[in-house]
Amino acid sequence: GLLLAALLVSHMLLTKEGVTSMPICPNGSVNCQLSLEELFERAVKLSHYIHYLSSEMFNEFDERYAQGRGFIAKAVNSCHTASLTTPEDKEQAQQIHHEDLLNLILGVLRSWNDPLIHLASEVQRIKEAPETILWKAVEIEEQNKRLLEGMEKIVGRVHSGEVENEIYTPWDGLPSLQLADEDSRLFAFYNLLHCLRRDSHKIDNYLKVLKCRLIHDNNC
Amino acid sequence: DLLQWPQIRKCRSPEMETFSCFWTAGNLYNLTVPRILQLLYKKSNEEDWKECPDYITSGQNSCYFNASYTSVWTPYCVQLASKNEVYDKKCFSVDEIVLPDPPVHLNWTLLNTSQTGIHGDIQVRWDPPPTADVRKGWITLEYELQYKEVNETKWKELKPRLSTMVPLYSLKTARDYEIRIRSRQRTSEKFGEFSEILYVSFSQIGIGCDHCTEEVEFPWFLVVVFGVCGLAVTVISIMLSKQPRLKMLIFPPVPVPKIKGIDPDLLKKGKLDEVNSILACHDNYKTQLYIDDLWVEFIELDIEDPDEKNRASDTDRLLSEDHLKSHSSLGAKDDDSGRASCCEPDIPETDFSASDTCDATSDSDQFKKATEKEEDLLCLNGQDNDESLPSLANTDLQRQHRSTQSENSHLWAAFGDSVESPRPSVHTQISNQNSLASTDFYAQVSDITPAGRVVLSPGQKSKLGRAQCEGCTEQNFTMDNTYFSEADVKKCIAVTSHEENEPRVQEQGYNEDGYFTTESLTMTVANLGASTAAPPSSEMPVADYTSIHIVQSPQGLVLNATALPVPDKEFNVSCGYVSADQLNKIMP
Repeated sequence: GLLLAALLVSHMLLTKEGVTSMPICPNGSVNCQLSLEELFERAVKLSHYIHYLSSEMFNEFDERYAQGRGFIAKAVNSCHTASLTTPEDKEQAQQIHHEDLLNLILGVLRSWNDPLIHLASEVQRIKEAPETILWKAVEIEEQNKRLLEGMEKIVGRVHSGEVENEIYTPWDGLPSLQLADEDSRLFAFYNLLHCLRRDSHKIDNYLKVLKCRLIHDNNC
Repeated sequence: DLLQWPQIRKCRSPEMETFSCFWTAGNLYNLTVPRILQLLYKKSNEEDWKECPDYITSGQNSCYFNASYTSVWTPYCVQLASKNEVYDKKCFSVDEIVLPDPPVHLNWTLLNTSQTGIHGDIQVRWDPPPTADVRKGWITLEYELQYKEVNETKWKELKPRLSTMVPLYSLKTARDYEIRIRSRQRTSEKFGEFSEILYVSFSQIGIGCDHCTEEVEFPWFLVVVFGVCGLAVTVISIMLSKQPRLKMLIFPPVPVPKIKGIDPDLLKKGKLDEVNSILACHDNYKTQLYIDDLWVEFIELDIEDPDEKNRASDTDRLLSEDHLKSHSSLGAKDDDSGRASCCEPDIPETDFSASDTCDATSDSDQFKKATEKEEDLLCLNGQDNDESLPSLANTDLQRQHRSTQSENSHLWAAFGDSVESPRPSVHTQISNQNSLASTDFYAQVSDITPAGRVVLSPGQKSKLGRAQCEGCTEQNFTMDNTYFSEADVKKCIAVTSHEENEPRVQEQGYNEDGYFTTESLTMTVANLGASTAAPPSSEMPVADYTSIHIVQSPQGLVLNATALPVPDKEFNVSCGYVSADQLNKIMP
């Protein structure tokens, strides 16, 4: 009983404003369908949570490993998703078609699936990695999967035609995470976490724009 | 003044659509030809540094990048330079430098007031900063509200929230409040600037409370009272709780008086033998000079066949005597005041030197033996009384056992025999002894009369009518194996001579061969009930043992007078033996 209570409390604390299970379909009925609004609500919540975790993780890593190494100066990096042409300002975001934007979102999410898996496993090999970083990496990877599923559902609902090119960029940064030299290895992690924070912010923003546009008719 | 280089102070984007950078010029400006500072920027995917597009819009020493120049998630680098010199450089991306403008249009409305009218609830509303495009979801803001009373200094903060309205509860209607709000991007840490202050005054809308009483101060008195009550309840519950450990921890038991080596439980239900042996080892309950313990030792040493019965009876007698003598024999005695126990006969703890006591002990042993040898010389010789015997030093006892007394004329042996025969009665007699009959079974020979009588020293301080021995003559020194002091004997004689007509010989005649103590003499006197003789100076502490002053002949020993009016402490004869030197000291 005590263990259960402790687990519940810790779960509540960990999830913070994040993602708690929302009641979906009552009692698992077959034809149950969530409204688009519901889907977007959940998607936005997930994306916000993922961005929040990424941001925290980057800050912790920066504080713990990057101080005094001059990583900031080298942070003019390019993420592996840079090849995806995503809107860079509000105007572009407003002008892009929502289906395209959704596809882009999916593309980014898919592109991050692989790196997140490796991040979760490689970050454990960092010397004396704090527990908070470790579990965040695992959590982000898990939530990203859920968001991907949700987005595919949304796309399925919204998309009126067949799915075109599946947008996706591969990630080849795994060797850099496994470098022997500790400095280089940590810099690789730093860049990856920096890119993760940025891309999660992008996705969060795009989803909110889409939600306001599609659900609330630009009147959030 | 220190030389200050030009520095980029900060770069900031209020709405994630534009951004500005601000710098300080430093004081190089004044020194030489005014230098023109330039801000150059470069996107990460570009090669060339470009100059700032707008130096004006954001004020002096600033550069403003409008929406067309802003790419949100693109890394920028800016540098402050003039001609060929770079003073400062910063790299960032726009989504990292978002600091929203303050909210606008703050207002409040009254929700309700309390019944007493002292407190009221209000709802505060505001609008997001106009620059931030919240409606389209481009930026998501959260707000933090702070409020305080007008004359306070510290602001109270509410938790950041997404909504643009918040209720404030339990504000005092008699006071005025100030409210301010600031905002930040939802996943950022830094807040933007505060909004303008909103003033809340209840009196303005007519619900000001003029007659309200001041709020009750913190009820310290109640807190103290309840705290004390709680503490008392806790203490009582601890005291009444069954948990012995807790109880012992908080209320440690007060140690009861104890005699080292004596277990009170043993006394309650232990065997008498053990108790007696333990008590015998402790002479702590001695309050007088007369000390039985050595006599106990004597007895034990003397009786060669370890007859437990004898011992039992002896110890019983001793026990009874002790009980009679000292009320607190089983009570709390100071452990340290004791002498050597019988377990350690050679170890005394007296005021005398150890050697003395040891010697005393050994001397008394010798003395004992001497007395044994000379028992024939003692008053038993001329006595034809077959009834003489060692009963216990109790007249009553003697009376009763007159007939049962054996004919053993030995002092010690007589005692032992007498013990044997009338033991049961002895026991009863012992138990029935009253305080008066606190005679001693063993007493020190203080003198041997020419007639062969042994004069015993009195055993106790408070011997009644020590010299009251009416009708006792030298030859009528009957009684049990007790001893008289010479002085007492003389008195006795005197008395006897004085009252020869007292038909009391019978009383004393039963034990001609025995010895008597002054106590027993006094006993007889008391029994007769006609003691007219003045009580002797029996109040004086009399030494039970004195040194042998002269050994006159094989027939006798003369002992020093023992009636010494000395204070107890000085004459703390633990062994009951006074050396000649000490005696001389004491004697006037």
